[in-house]
Amino acid sequence: MGDTDTRAVTLAFDHVSVRFGGLLALNDVTFNVLEHQIVGLIGPNGAGKTTAFNVACGFQKPTSGTISFPKLGRGRLRPPQLAGAGVARTLQGVGLFSHMSVLENVMAGAQSRPGGGTWRAIAGLPSGVRQERLLRAEALEHLERLGIAPFAAALPSGIPYGVAKKVSIARALMERPSLLMLDEPASGLDESELEVFTHLIIELRESMSVLLVEHNMDFVMQLVDHLVVLNFGQVIAQGSPKDISTNPDVLAAYLGIDE
Amino acid sequence: MNWWRTLSRQETTNSRVVAVLALTILTLLVTIFLPPVADSELAGGAAIAIVILGLSWLTGWSGQISLGNSGFMAVGAYAAGIWAHHHASTPLIFTLVLALVAGGLSGLVIAIPSTRLRGPYLAGMTLAFSAAVTPLAQNFTSVTGGEGGIFLNSLVTPKWFEHLFHGANASINANAQWTADLAVVVAGVMFFFMANLFHSRAGRSMRLVRDNDVAAELMGVHLARTRTMAFVVSAAFAGVGGALYSLLEASVRPETFPLTLSITLLTLMVLGGIGTLSGAVIGGIIFSFSANLVAHVNSLTGVNPTSNLGANMQGIIFGVLLIVTMIFAPRGIVSLSSPLRRLWRARRPLSVTQEVQ
Ligand SMILES: Nc1ncnc2c1ncn2[C@@H]1O[C@H](COP(=O)(O)OP(=O)(O)O)[C@@H](O)[C@H]1O
Ligand SMILES: [Mg+2]
Repeated sequence: MGDTDTRAVTLAFDHVSVRFGGLLALNDVTFNVLEHQIVGLIGPNGAGKTTAFNVACGFQKPTSGTISFPKLGRGRLRPPQLAGAGVARTLQGVGLFSHMSVLENVMAGAQSRPGGGTWRAIAGLPSGVRQERLLRAEALEHLERLGIAPFAAALPSGIPYGVAKKVSIARALMERPSLLMLDEPASGLDESELEVFTHLIIELRESMSVLLVEHNMDFVMQLVDHLVVLNFGQVIAQGSPKDISTNPDVLAAYLGIDE
Repeated sequence: MNWWRTLSRQETTNSRVVAVLALTILTLLVTIFLPPVADSELAGGAAIAIVILGLSWLTGWSGQISLGNSGFMAVGAYAAGIWAHHHASTPLIFTLVLALVAGGLSGLVIAIPSTRLRGPYLAGMTLAFSAAVTPLAQNFTSVTGGEGGIFLNSLVTPKWFEHLFHGANASINANAQWTADLAVVVAGVMFFFMANLFHSRAGRSMRLVRDNDVAAELMGVHLARTRTMAFVVSAAFAGVGGALYSLLEASVRPETFPLTLSITLLTLMVLGGIGTLSGAVIGGIIFSFSANLVAHVNSLTGVNPTSNLGANMQGIIFGVLLIVTMIFAPRGIVSLSSPLRRLWRARRPLSVTQEVQ
C-alpha cells in the first residue's frame, strides 16, 4: 500500500458499502486515489466496479461509509456539482449525444463552467459570441490532440467505435478535470488504438488523477500505478500491478477465472 | 490550416442577424403591396409564428411536449390587455415586455410540478392548464371583462407613416400596413433572440438533456432547472405572441384562446418542421392563409360555414395537411429545402481544398 506516499488524496473511499435489497454490491470498500496517480479498478463481471463509479459520482448513495474529495470538501456531492468541481467521468459504452456533432459533443464538456452568459448570448452581444467561439476552438484542440479532428462535423452514429471512445474522453477533458474516471476505456479497441490510449492516459497523469475500470488485463497492468481488485463487492487485494499479479488470492478469485 | 478549423468560425451571430434581418425586411416590403385584409392576416401570422417558435423550442430542443401554450398566450394577452386598458398611452414595447414576463411566470408555475412528469403525464398537466384558462377568464368578470373580454384602442398609425406610403387620405390601408409592420418587427426581434438562444450554452443544455440525460447530468447540467427553463422561455414567447395577437385585434376575448388552439399550434409546428426558425415561419404563413383556405374549401364543397361540418373545417384541413406532410416530408415542410441547401453546401469542399494547400 502507498502508506509512505506523501501525495495529496484526490478521492477517498472510506468503508463504503452499497446494498441493493439482499445484494451487497459494495462491501466495506476502502481505497484512495492520489494526485497524479492512475488507479485501476478490476474484478469479474458483477464485482461492483460500475457501482463504485456511481457512488463516487453521486448517482448512487452509499448505504454506509463515505466518499470524499478532500480538495473539494466533504459531504455528498450531486453529479452536476461534481462536474463543476473537476470530476469527469466517461460512461460504460460511449454515452455520446446522438443528435449532436462530435465537436458539439466535446463542447458539452464545458457546460458546467461558471458564467454561462445566457443573457449576453440571447441578446447576441459580441462577448457571448466570442465565448462560444473560444469553446469551439478549445474543443477542436482536444480533438486534434487525440487525432480525431477530421471527425469534428460528423454525428456519433457515423464514426468508428474507437473514435467515439476518444470523443468521450475529449469531452471529459473539456471539463478540465482533476480526477478523470474512465469506465472500461479499452473495450472494443484494437491493438494499435490501445497503444495510443496507454500513451494518452500516461500523458494525462501529468495534470490529473485517473481512476479506471477495465477488463483488459494487459492494458491495465502496464498502465496503472495502483490496482484495486474487487470480488463480490469486496476489495480482495490492492497494491502495485506487480504485487497483484503474484497475489495468490487474486489469481484464484479473478485471474484464474478470467483466463 | 486544416479544413476543420473553419468549423470554429461557423454559426456566427453575424450570419443569424443577417438571415433574420433579411427576412424581416423582405416581409416589410411585402406588406407595402398587400391589400389591407391580407396585411392583417399577415400580422396575425407573425404573432402566431412567435408562439410556434416558442413551442418548437420546447419540443424540438428540450424534448418536452405542451398542450398549454394557448393558455400561456392567454396569460400574456390578458396581462397586456388589462394593463393597456387602464394605461392607454403606454408604449407598445412596455406592454409586450409585460406580456413576456407574465407568460414566462405562468410557464414557471406550470413547469415546477411538470419537471417531475414525463410524456403523457406532462401533456395532461399542460392540457389541464389551458383548459382552465378560458373558464377562469370568463368568471373573473371584473378584471377580465368575462365573456365579452377587454376592448382596446387600436394601434395608431403615425402621421409620417401615412404620408410615406399612402398620402393623406388612405388611413385605413395605412393602419393595416402599420400594424402588420409592427407585428413583423416584433416577430423579427423574437426570432433573433431565439436564434441566439439556439446556439447558446443554454440551448446546448436543452439538447443534452433531451439526447441523454445521464450524460448531461455528468456534464454538470441540472436536469430539472433546464427543463423548467425550457418551459419558461416557451411560455414567454407564447405570452408575447398572444399579447401581440390581441393588440392587433384590439380586444382580448376568452374565445380567442380555446384549448383547440394549442392543438392547432402543435399541428402548425409539425407542418413547418420542429425545432427550426424556418419551420416556425412556415407555420405562421400557413396560419395566415388558413381563414382564406377554410372559406375557399367551404365554398368549393358547398358546405355551409355555420354548419357543424363547416365550423370544423379548419381542423379537417389541418388534419389532411398533416397526413400529407407526414407522408411526403416527415420532418416538416422545411425539410423540403434540404436538397437546395445541399446544393449550396456542395461549394464548401472547394474552399476546403484551397485551405489545405
Ligand atoms: N441499480 C441496481 N439495482 C440492483 N442491483 C444492482 C444495481 N446496479 C448493480 N446491481 C448489482 O450489483 C452488482 C454489481 O454490479 P456492477 O457494479 O454493475 O458490476 P461491474 O461493473 O463490476 O460489472 C451486480 O450483481 C448487479 O447486478
Ligand atoms: Mg460495469
